Amino acid sequence: MESTPDLSLRITLHSARFDALARLEVWHDELAQRDSSNAAESLFVGRVRPTAGDGVALEALELEHYPGMTERQLEQLADHCCRRHGVSSCLIEHRIGRVLPGEAIVLVAVGADRRGPAQRCCHELLESLKHDAPFWKREWRTDGRRQWLNGNTPL
Amino acid sequence: MADPSSNAASPIRVRLFAALREQAGWAERDWPSQQAAIPPGSRTASPQTPRAIWMALALDGSFDSVRTAVNQHFADPDTVLQPGDELAFLPPISGG
Repeated sequence: MESTPDLSLRITLHSARFDALARLEVWHDELAQRDSSNAAESLFVGRVRPTAGDGVALEALELEHYPGMTERQLEQLADHCCRRHGVSSCLIEHRIGRVLPGEAIVLVAVGADRRGPAQRCCHELLESLKHDAPFWKREWRTDGRRQWLNGNTPL
Repeated sequence: MADPSSNAASPIRVRLFAALREQAGWAERDWPSQQAAIPPGSRTASPQTPRAIWMALALDGSFDSVRTAVNQHFADPDTVLQPGDELAFLPPISGG
């Protein structure tokens, strides 16, 4: 595995609503202060849908996680992915707890010298955290039902 | 990783999450480690593994859809467990 000694990695779990664009701006400021701004950047913001899989309106989405393992797993996934693609910076912000429709669940941003590594790494990291970081979603529906989701939506 | 020499009788802590936790009605339970469970003079039992403990707990659902973690790392279901280990059964993950 090729080493990327100056990789900048920031991971945060939020138990309350976060503003994805504001967090992105803070990250940009931090990178600029370290003279580590990127020529290319790829980002993804995932938000809660207004409806459940069967069309019933959603009251909220609950996100449970495995404290300790989640943080370690996110760091390991991000570190491996970033080093494999040779990118220079990575930001992950992820919600836990009760998330309302329209609110951000996840923000992944990857900075690199070129668009290819930035886009590929962002895509791969998002998919890996969706499948290999211990989070679980439960829909709280307006018809009163609550249902744990059995995996992820199709790509 | 737990040190068997220092806590030979420490139980294995079993943890459940999300749907598994709600189906079972409990989140954490101590499971006797082999050293504590085997009476002196008994023949050695089969190694304690996540798969063996899942079967003994008789939880609802298929083990094929469950992932296991030992001491907060993904682990093979046939990993031999040590006293003091933390074993978690994880239902299908849905992050991001």
